[in-house]
Order: sequence, then structure tokens, then C-alpha cells
Amino acid sequence: MRTIGLALTLVLGSTLTGALSAQDVRAQLDGRVSPEVQRAVRGIAADAAARGLPVDPLVQKAIEGAAKGVPADRVIAAVRTLAGRLGEAREAVRAGGVAAPSGDVVEGGADALNAGISPRQVSDLVRVSQPPQDPALTLRVAATLAALGVPPKQALELVQGMISAGRSPSDLLGLPGQVQAGVGRGATPAQAAAGLARAAGGTPPGRIPDWVPPGQRRPRNPHKP
Amino acid sequence: MMASYHPLVKRLLDGEVSLAELPPELQAEGEEALRLVGAADRAPVALSPALEERVMTAVRSHAASPGNRAWRWLNTPREVELRLRVRPWTVWAGALAAAAGLALLLVGRPASGPGPGSEARGGTRDSVFVRFVLYAPGARRVAVAGTFNQWDRSAAPLVPAGTSGVWTTTLALPVGQHQYAFVVDGARWVVDPAAPAVDDGFGRRNSVVAVTAQGAQL
Amino acid sequence: MGVPLGFEGEATDAEVVRAVLAGDVERYAVLVRRYRDRYARYASRMLGSRDVAEDAVQDALVRAFDRLADCREPDKFAGWLFLILRNRCYAERRRRQRQERPLDSTDEMFAAPDRPDGAYEQVERAHALERALQHLTPEQREVFVLKHMEGLAYEEIAGVTGATVASLKMRMHRAYDRLRELMKEHL
Repeated sequence: MRTIGLALTLVLGSTLTGALSAQDVRAQLDGRVSPEVQRAVRGIAADAAARGLPVDPLVQKAIEGAAKGVPADRVIAAVRTLAGRLGEAREAVRAGGVAAPSGDVVEGGADALNAGISPRQVSDLVRVSQPPQDPALTLRVAATLAALGVPPKQALELVQGMISAGRSPSDLLGLPGQVQAGVGRGATPAQAAAGLARAAGGTPPGRIPDWVPPGQRRPRNPHKP
Repeated sequence: MMASYHPLVKRLLDGEVSLAELPPELQAEGEEALRLVGAADRAPVALSPALEERVMTAVRSHAASPGNRAWRWLNTPREVELRLRVRPWTVWAGALAAAAGLALLLVGRPASGPGPGSEARGGTRDSVFVRFVLYAPGARRVAVAGTFNQWDRSAAPLVPAGTSGVWTTTLALPVGQHQYAFVVDGARWVVDPAAPAVDDGFGRRNSVVAVTAQGAQL
Repeated sequence: MGVPLGFEGEATDAEVVRAVLAGDVERYAVLVRRYRDRYARYASRMLGSRDVAEDAVQDALVRAFDRLADCREPDKFAGWLFLILRNRCYAERRRRQRQERPLDSTDEMFAAPDRPDGAYEQVERAHALERALQHLTPEQREVFVLKHMEGLAYEEIAGVTGATVASLKMRMHRAYDRLRELMKEHL
């Protein structure tokens, strides 16, 4: 489907290049948002791009607002807020030791902040997300756990516990589903997460962690700028 | 060579007639036939206790090796239905009771050719089929809109699955995280309370799905 | 302390299937424990050996995991697993025929349960029936096992095998005659 193909290009585009060009922004917004919104968003996007922040989430947010029939001023406000959050996220990620994070990691950070995780917690999580872990993934998992109702502190503890225990990225990706399963059996999100954290302790049998624990190696940027 | 059982005797064995209903000349044959099937050993058979561990060992290794059977599992496009809790709740006071129950489903991979940006993040350019299901018995139209289709309300309509009030569609979603919501009757935006939901920045919430090579995680 | 997770006594098959598909691989053990012996009798009778049956059940459980995404109705996992096992039993049969490997002698197969009255003839008859079953065609053996050992009605057997009730009865009636011939000394 053409629409899906376009979305695919957008997702990959922002991943690879980190920013849409001004032409792309206009092309995306044309016909989808009012002229007023388009003007404002192009400005916000240009500013963000100049600061090296990912632009695609801003465009998506504007389109979403228009599709939902949200008044122009609220759309613009939301896009501006998001741009601010992307900036905050990048600072937090940098403080976690990644000097020039990719758009993906910054977006993951913004998702985490949006879900109630603090900048300090974002930095901490990034710091322990050394290969084979990917901070973009660990941040998103933490954000999804928080979105499920797990208190941020516990969400972080759970993800960090899994990382320390040498679990694979796919194990981490399974966490939200497991928390939901626990909630389905009557636990609160916090209880479900606590149960998983207890179970996560210790290396799974037969699997030796293939990474160096944090602090034993100079933190370096695992991503291409 | 023994003669065949009389048809009535066979019906006896099938449980359609009783021994008493057989004519006298067939009684002996009937009793013999009942001895035959009565010899069937119906005792339960217990397999070795080690079976469970052998199965789980194989299961763990299959789950952990992406290049192996798990990959084959994911590579054939199939549909699986993951039905989460369906909770009816009234969206608009006094109006239709739109039951918003979302089941987000993993299907396999489409047979996709090379796409743009094939170096991106470990070659994860592929898409995964994801099936969306909404229980909305009073609805006239249902669509799903999200970051994967530019929030276009007409891009991904759902179709009714039978008459049970269930609506469904299947989309190929790229690997990554997506936000989405259902649009009922063109105007009502509906999220699933059972899926992770995030603030959409406009005072509402969006559902979140993470599509990975292993499937859709809510 | 919190709600104990993994309390499997309460989880339905559908819930466990969902959890496994969402990534909780270890939960599959719940289904393994639940079903490991349920179809053992069927597999043993179909294959004529408990050891071979154990391999088949093990294989079917692993295969069911591999293809769990194909289980269209997770609350009918039991029936779906049975179909996988059934296919496995037929495949095993064909494989042995190709290799010209006869099935294990049924003499070693089962210790016939001790009958309370210790009736020698009944034990002998049970053994004779087990041996005789192996001389039926797989289709005849299956309908006999499903009806007279698993207690299914013809309609249920039709649902499982895809055959019509009429054709199942025909197979069964031929089986009765064949069994009568094979067991004549014990009747």
C-alpha cells in the first residue's frame, strides 16, 4: 500500500539521516494540516533540525493533531512541547555518556520523559545500556512499562536488573507483555514488575553474559552520529 | 476364516442397540463381540517424567535461535489471534455502547523484497503483519489510524468479522514503535484500556505497539 | 509481598498461549505438564509402543511450540495439539514402513494392569487385542482407539479426522471383523 510504503520511508528516513529536509516537511504537511499550523510547524522543525534534533516526530504530531480535529493553537503548542522534550531528552542521553546520539535514541528518551521517567533516570538507563543493549530499545521498553502503570523507579529497576543479569534485547522486549500478563492475573503493574525483577536476578542457565559490565570500560557512543 | 459379525452385532458394538435387544440366536455372538471390545485396555498411559524437561530444553533452544525454527515460525505469514480483555464501556453518554476491546495480533512476515535503507539497524527493514481487532457492536465504520499511516482515518478501515460486532484488519507494519488509535464512525477516537497508552499531547491517549522481528509487543 | 506470578493452576490454555506468544517462553511448561499424558494412550495404541509414543508426544509438543503462532483459537489448544500429534503418528507410521522397520513387538509394550480377580484369560485377551490392533490399517486402528479407548462418539471422531460418520462406521465394521479373525483363539 502506498501509504504504508510512505510511512516506512519516513521511519527509516529519520533513523538513517536523523532529520527530514525542509522539502520533506512541507511535502508531509501539505494538505494534511491547515496553513497556519504548517507555517508554525515548519518553523519549529527548522529550529529543531538546526539543533540536530529529529524532526519526524514533530511532523507526525502535527498530522496527528489535525487528523484528530484538534484546534490549530493546541496543535502548535503540542508540537512545541514535543520539540522541547526532544531537546531535554538529548541532554539526558548525553549525560548518560552518549556524546552524539542518533535520532532513535533521542526519540526513545522523549518517549521515556513523556511517560513520566525523569531526565536523571534516562541518563542512568543510557549509562548501563552498553552493547549488546541498545539505549533506544531500553528507553522504549522502560517508557512502555511506565505507560502500563509501572512506577518509573520500578520500571527502571526492572530493565536495569535484566541488563545486569545478561538478558538479551529480546528478553527485554518481552517485558511489557509479561507485565500485562501479570496484570491480567490480578496483580497491579507494580507487583507484576516486582515479580519479574525477582525472577530476572541471576544469569539464566547456560547463558554467559557477553558484555562488559558498566564502569569497566570507557563509555562510548555505540551509535553512528 | 471366521464369519463376519452380524450387522446387528456390529450395531451392538457401536452402542446403538443393547444385548437384550438382540434376537436369541445372536446372543452368543453378541457376548463374544463384547468380550472383544471389552479387552481394550483403557488404563491411562503415563510417559516418562523426564519428558517435560526434554520438551522445555528443546523449546528454549528454539526460542533463542533466531536463525533456526523460530525464524521459520515467523517467516510463514499466518494469523494468530491474541484476544485481550474485552471490556465494554460507554464512550459517549447515552449513545451507542461502543465496546473498545483491542486485540493486537502478530502475524508472520510478508514475503517482502528489498526495501529502502537496507543497512538500517541490523537490516531490520522488513515489515511484520499485525492484525487489529476491535469489538464495537454498535459501530457503522471502524478504522485504525496511527504513526504508521500518517493518522489517516481512511487508510486502514476495518471490516466486520461475522455478526458478532468484531471488526478487524491486517496491516504490514515496519519494525519499530508505533502509536495508534481506532476511529469509530469517523469521529470517535478510541483506545484500548488494556494496551499501554501514552499521552498524545492533546489531552487524549494513544495506544502503543512495538513491532519487532519477534512480533508485536504491547 | 505481591501476587505470586506463574501460579499456573488458574491460567486457561488461552492465557498461557498468549503469554508464550508475548515472549514468556517458560510458561509453555504449563501446557506441557497439562497435556503430556492426555494423549499418551492414543499415541501408544496408534504406534504400538510406549517408547515410540513418548518420542511422538515430545515431538508434537515441541512442534506445537514452533507453530504456536498458527493456533487460531488459543482456547482450543488441546484439540490443536491433538491434531499435531495425530499427524506425527501417521508420519511415524509411514517412516517405519519406508524403512521396513516393523513396530516393536507389543509383548514388551505394556504391563497389563493387574486385574483384581487375576483372571488369566482377560490379561491374555488384552495382550491379544493390542497385537491385533497393530495389524489393522492405521485408519481402522484409529477409529477403534478413538471410539473404544478414548470414548469419542462417531460425530466427534468425524470432527477430528475429517471423515464422514458413514465412512467411519464402515471402517469400524471392517475392523471388528478383522479383529475377530485375529483374536479367534482368545474369544
